[in-house]
Amino acid sequence: MENRLNLKDGLIKQNMIFMSGMLIAPVIACATTLMKSLAVCFVFSFVSLVTILVCRFIPRTIVYTIRVTLYTIAAAVVYIPAALLANLIFGDAIIKAAGVYLPILITNSLILSKTETRFYLEPKGNMAKDIIGFIIGFDIACTITGALREFLASGKIAGAEIPIFFTIPALETTFGGFLFVGIGAGLFRAVYNYRKAHAADEEDEDSLAEYAEDVGEFLVGRHTHGDKEKIRIYKAAVKRAQSENDLLEMEFLSNRDVLAAFEAIVSEGQELTSESKAEDADDEGDETETTGKTGETEGGTENADIS
Amino acid sequence: MQIFLNIVSAALAAIFIQNIILERALGANVLLYASRKKEHVIGFAAAITYTTTVASPVIWIFDTLLGKNEYYGFIMPLLYVFTIALIYIGTLVVIWRFFPSFFKTLRKYVHLSVFNCSVIGALFLCSQQGNDIFAYIGYGFGTGIGFLVAAYLLYAASERLNSKLVPAAFRGYPIMIVYVGILSLALYAFTGYSTSAV
Repeated sequence: MENRLNLKDGLIKQNMIFMSGMLIAPVIACATTLMKSLAVCFVFSFVSLVTILVCRFIPRTIVYTIRVTLYTIAAAVVYIPAALLANLIFGDAIIKAAGVYLPILITNSLILSKTETRFYLEPKGNMAKDIIGFIIGFDIACTITGALREFLASGKIAGAEIPIFFTIPALETTFGGFLFVGIGAGLFRAVYNYRKAHAADEEDEDSLAEYAEDVGEFLVGRHTHGDKEKIRIYKAAVKRAQSENDLLEMEFLSNRDVLAAFEAIVSEGQELTSESKAEDADDEGDETETTGKTGETEGGTENADIS
Repeated sequence: MQIFLNIVSAALAAIFIQNIILERALGANVLLYASRKKEHVIGFAAAITYTTTVASPVIWIFDTLLGKNEYYGFIMPLLYVFTIALIYIGTLVVIWRFFPSFFKTLRKYVHLSVFNCSVIGALFLCSQQGNDIFAYIGYGFGTGIGFLVAAYLLYAASERLNSKLVPAAFRGYPIMIVYVGILSLALYAFTGYSTSAV
């Protein structure tokens, strides 16, 4: 159940091509044939998976400015074996045809944004499953796009001719790619919205509950909150961080921003609670003074603070 | 004069004929984010223009010295990323030291505008298209201006593209991509197009 939900998020709900548009340049301009799209998928999967797993070990104490630079350099290093392997598997002609669209994969949003806002907030096991979900989601969408564009543009798939009554050669071009991905994204969202409206949202809530619980434990492990409370605080923290940073998309938020907002909300909540407790204590103090047990109350408070 | 003409012609080619967004789709996801606000359009375009212009002579040196090496294509991204990283950190340190208030504003999205497909893609295109250092600089500068043109065109239409007249499923990202596709089609008027089927 947990595995399925983790995968579902990256596969469908936040699909990198059709839902969030996090990495569309190689799909629009390069995925014009099945083989080229498979080469893009291979390099993307290799570079993203290895880089994100390796960069998890970069200390969080390093400032974000330097950290994001290290992520990109690590991706550029990982690209070397990825490109050599791709050359062996797909051949020189395909790699040359893919051109600049393979090396630019080192600056994809999965490595530069999602690591900070999502992956590195999760426990390692969940993170690995989550990354795989996003990568498979991209790979499926990119492969389907490449195969369909090749078929519709030239009546072939992987070079093999398939009878078709008409062809749309413009789908090979960049503007054809924009139109194909744009219309594909609209249709994908329409189907997703339809299914969401007609299906019970329990699974999504479960997924969010698990995610918020993990994030909650990681960020404020010392605080104890119920699952629903953690979801509420997490959502509020994201909203607050978005408004404070003047951003619309969560993916552009840094971990530090969400963490700061999260901590602020939790501490505000604690202040409110402690104020009400203090008021209660004052009331109790008044009562104890009248009963002559003030010393016991003060001592108890002192011990609690020290512990 | 010849140098000036080299720079201008490379810049014009990068803006109108090989526009980084409309012809190459490089940095399309950054474009979607940048086009939401006028200040983002200007900020992103300025950061991209600055980085590509400053980095282009450095990568010309790499290309000239190492270009004939058999494995240069595999280490190019690493060298280019190092170049971008040095410019990024150096510039941020200078701004942080001398303009602290500007640094706070910049901090929000500067990494997005420097480490993205359009900057590194532009440097690869410089390498493919440029013959000499001046063509590299002109192409690097033109790339940033090309991004500004595409982002402003999208920004100008973004209100209508996000209106309720657009079906809910297409509102936002999908219709913006379709719109950029139509702009891209218009750009082909400058260059014409041919496909393998024609």
